[in-house]
Amino acid sequence: MSGLGQIPILSIILLSPLLGLAVIQLLPRQRASWLKIAAVAATMVPLALTLWLYADYDRQQGAASYSETYNWVQAPLKMNVGGDWFFSFQYEVGLDGLSLPLLLLTAIVTSTAALAAVHVKKRWKSFFSWFLLLEFGMIGAFIARDVFLFFIFFEITLVAMYFLIGVWGYYNRERAADRFLIYNGIGSAIMLIAFIMLVNTAGFHIVETAMNPQYIYSGSYADILRNLSDPGAYVNLPAESAGGNPFALGETKQWAIFILLLVAFGIKLPVFPFHSWMLKVHQEAPPAVVMIHSGILLKLGAYGLMRFGLFLFPDQAREWASVLAILGVINLLYGAILAFRQQEFKLVLAYSSISHMGIVLIGLAAFNEIGMQGALFQLISHGLISALLFLIVGSLYERTGTTELPQLGGLARSMPFISGVLLAAGLASLGLPGLSGFVGEFLSLLGLFESMRWVTAIAVIGIILTAVYVLRSVLKITFGQQREELSAIRDARFIEALPMVVLLACIVLLGCYPSVLTDTMQLSVGGYMDLLLATRAGG
Amino acid sequence: MDFFAKIAWIIPLLPLAAFLVLMTLGRGFRRAGAWIGSIGALGAFVLSLLVLSERLKPHAIDYSYNFSWISIGEYTLRIGFEITNLTALMLVVVTLVGLLVNIYSAGYMASDERITVFYGYVSLFTFSMLGLVLSDNLLSFYLFWELVGVCSFLLVGFWYARPAARAAAKKAFIVTRIGDAGLLIAILLLFWNMPGHALDFTSIQSIFGGHGGSFTDGITTVIALLIFLGAVGKSGQFPLHVWLPDAMEGPTPISALIHAATMVAAGVFLVARTFSIFEAAPAAMETVAYVGAFTAIFAAVIALAQNDLKRILAYSTISQLGYMMVALGLGTMTGAIFHLFTHAFFKALLFLAAGSVIHAVHTQDIREMGGIGSRMRVTAWTFAIGGLALAGIPPLSGFWSKDAILTAALEHNPLLFGVGLATAFLTALYMTRLFVLVFLGKSGSKAGEAKESPLVMTIPLIALAVLAAIAGFVELPWNGWLSGWLTDEVIEPHGSVAVIGLSIAAGLLGMLAGWLLYGKGIAGSQPLASRLPRMVKLAERKFYIDELYEMVFVKSLRGLGACLAAFDTYVIGGAVKLAGSAAGAAGKLGLRLQNGQVQTYGVAAVLGVVAIAVVVIGRRMLS
Repeated sequence: MSGLGQIPILSIILLSPLLGLAVIQLLPRQRASWLKIAAVAATMVPLALTLWLYADYDRQQGAASYSETYNWVQAPLKMNVGGDWFFSFQYEVGLDGLSLPLLLLTAIVTSTAALAAVHVKKRWKSFFSWFLLLEFGMIGAFIARDVFLFFIFFEITLVAMYFLIGVWGYYNRERAADRFLIYNGIGSAIMLIAFIMLVNTAGFHIVETAMNPQYIYSGSYADILRNLSDPGAYVNLPAESAGGNPFALGETKQWAIFILLLVAFGIKLPVFPFHSWMLKVHQEAPPAVVMIHSGILLKLGAYGLMRFGLFLFPDQAREWASVLAILGVINLLYGAILAFRQQEFKLVLAYSSISHMGIVLIGLAAFNEIGMQGALFQLISHGLISALLFLIVGSLYERTGTTELPQLGGLARSMPFISGVLLAAGLASLGLPGLSGFVGEFLSLLGLFESMRWVTAIAVIGIILTAVYVLRSVLKITFGQQREELSAIRDARFIEALPMVVLLACIVLLGCYPSVLTDTMQLSVGGYMDLLLATRAGG
Repeated sequence: MDFFAKIAWIIPLLPLAAFLVLMTLGRGFRRAGAWIGSIGALGAFVLSLLVLSERLKPHAIDYSYNFSWISIGEYTLRIGFEITNLTALMLVVVTLVGLLVNIYSAGYMASDERITVFYGYVSLFTFSMLGLVLSDNLLSFYLFWELVGVCSFLLVGFWYARPAARAAAKKAFIVTRIGDAGLLIAILLLFWNMPGHALDFTSIQSIFGGHGGSFTDGITTVIALLIFLGAVGKSGQFPLHVWLPDAMEGPTPISALIHAATMVAAGVFLVARTFSIFEAAPAAMETVAYVGAFTAIFAAVIALAQNDLKRILAYSTISQLGYMMVALGLGTMTGAIFHLFTHAFFKALLFLAAGSVIHAVHTQDIREMGGIGSRMRVTAWTFAIGGLALAGIPPLSGFWSKDAILTAALEHNPLLFGVGLATAFLTALYMTRLFVLVFLGKSGSKAGEAKESPLVMTIPLIALAVLAAIAGFVELPWNGWLSGWLTDEVIEPHGSVAVIGLSIAAGLLGMLAGWLLYGKGIAGSQPLASRLPRMVKLAERKFYIDELYEMVFVKSLRGLGACLAAFDTYVIGGAVKLAGSAAGAAGKLGLRLQNGQVQTYGVAAVLGVVAIAVVVIGRRMLS
């Protein structure tokens, strides 16, 4: 077997930002340019490796298995029943058509965000340290195949984000950071409760050994999934406990866990009405960090919702398909209408993110392959587009000192390049064919239309409203008479133009040739659909 | 022989290449702009002609090619191109007008510092429009449909510094997007209902042409109406016509290319492409006919009362597109395509000639013009030919195509015939008014500066004038060559002397009335305004449709936005604050415990030990 199967490629990708982190610790803290170069270089390593992985995965048609499992901690438990009881905490990572595109997105957006961090003005050393730790956390979260491991990586991103917002943000940064931490902390607590409930029941399995049977609780995703989808598997208990299986996950508990997960990841996504924390983050965090926040971390919410919510609890999810669809439509329309109201461009984009995440829910609610592809495509597409938009916000703020719409205007005159890219990003965001936004939107709507025609028809109103708010804000900035005080500003420097071109090229590529992404995802989507549509015997 | 049909995919790529080159070059290469753009257009035109020449041979076979764009499980979304007689004809129209507009713009836009960008956008538009024409299925049609919309938006807003241009561009995009939403839903409906999820025009034709399929009458009508909604948006039909007059903020060559000859006709083309769906839905057909008829006369009345040279022509375009819709609604697809064909030439001509005038006098207000004819002879003559063609005076092209539509109307629906005839009268009237006020009479305030435009602008005018004069001969009342060629059906000669007579009479009467009212000035300078003040005011203000929309849609969206914003701030934001302060309070409690006093810690520790001891001992005792 050729390919990357034999080397622990995933762990190498995961650890590569830490290597950069180590290098940065060795550099003197006042040398800004050294630190910046080191940080950008450090993000290039996972980017290159992930690109290689992506190509390899495609060539192998997804057949190659990249999973790695190591037993990390095995804590013995003292129980009244005989035999050896363990809690096993595993380092288990893996890859599939859902993780891989998100992994690549993470690598791309982080690299461009590192370039965008040229605007950071102070304490570069700690900024880039947190920044690389954040990348470590994100990569880990996307490849983790153990619920607790996922939780740990998820928490790492929270901590890193907290400091990145609180120290390097705008005027109200500390309040924004606090609110971010409180809200996400609540989400994490809920997630942890759900995970513990899961591990406590479906996480149990028995390993027969030569001596004593081993009774193991573990957070291994594969074990949990197997136990949940085939209840018979964890009923292979010693006969004495046949009276009542303590490890069975009853209907009520399943619903409880499902709803807890929905809330936990709904906060992250964000789903209406849990969205308000992210407005402040969009407004106050430094643009390079918002690129990552809006471009990747929101996707982590959708990813978690799919992997832990939908795939583990398909019965509940199917039953709630219409709830998901309606939540999606609310997100879509509510975000769009409020984006239309904002006078602050960053808030326009924040509400726009809410609106676009609605499309993801709509695609998921379809419960068919087209809708799922649409939702996944929308994740990647919105990640690229919002990263590009916040990249522009950073360059804009650097020049004008404001992103308030009433104070901007006519910038196409003095900065045609940035204005052109902004217009292109705006058009991508409103779903112009030929750019990536259209594909995600179209596939999601197409998918949902099979089962819920009227809901989809209402959602289509969203594409009109999106055009309204995108054009309003983008044209306000670039078109019209140039304001006197803005006439002296310059167009993009090379170092700013480079990431813009890269992101825009990705957006155009996905818009014109979506198969490059859909074919890769398709290698797994069929399997997910089987998971989602399978009827499970009993509770 | 279908060699050129097979390589027809190259046609749109030539302007695309021009676009890419121009965008890479940037603003610096000003002279190169016109050359690169025009060469791209010329190449596309030559290839299109070759494709057409193949199609003119008897028994040409349709050629189509498509490939998978997205493949998901059992579903495949395809993209492809198709050469039929209809698409070949449209190719030539689009590339010919495109080429002439490219050449003309070299003069018209010569002094603009962003001329390279202009040519880039025009090339991108040409690419998209050709893609739309060539599309073999509704999905790729929709992709290019959106792209032409965005090019139109970019070009309307080309002079972005003007607030009016910004507003017009935004309006053009958003209003047409309402129609696009309808088309999108129609595509979704078709996708899930067509056998094999096919979206290509051939399958649509065979399914709706009565060869099986699972469509109830209700669904068919809904699909047809939704498609028509898309056409209404793009072709500026009532009630979505409001964007087109405002779109005149764009450079005049754009008005000629996009907002007269090609893109706005795409709605008509769309209905023609999916005509079998309409034929299977009589209610939808009637809607198309009546919406078209209403738009035709409604816009003609407005045109009569406008004073902006380009806006008059814009309303005239809306009116003529309404004519084409009437033809479609009456079931004569060839009548619609025929009028689209002739209209493309004479209306492009009128716009370019108007551009020549505006270029010379730097105003668009016809009240400031007057007496320009003697100073700009080529412009005046070519404008006259275009105007006569539009007014439906034989033997110019507009007469023949209008006649074909009126004949069909008389056969099927006398009411529509009457409206068509009245519109013909009004058309002749407003064109006479326009011509008289601009070119004849005393010199207006701005007319003094006028001098003839350079050759690079007048040559396209002459070329279009020739076409406007002769294009009608492809289909004469007693020799339906075009309809035979387009539909493969032999159509009886349908010449009706009565229709011809009435149509000529309407045109001549309109011209006479115009001459009497405006040329001889028998009723003063504002002949109608003094007699019918209310009516004229109403038409001048375009029947207050814009104001109505502002009130109903824009205001209500704003209102809804305000309500939701309040909800977001107070209800949802309030809940978050509450959660935040609860967490803060918990934190404070923790803080109070950690006050640094060793005594406090000691007390806490002792209490903890006691508590644990109680629990442990208690359990022992109980068990």
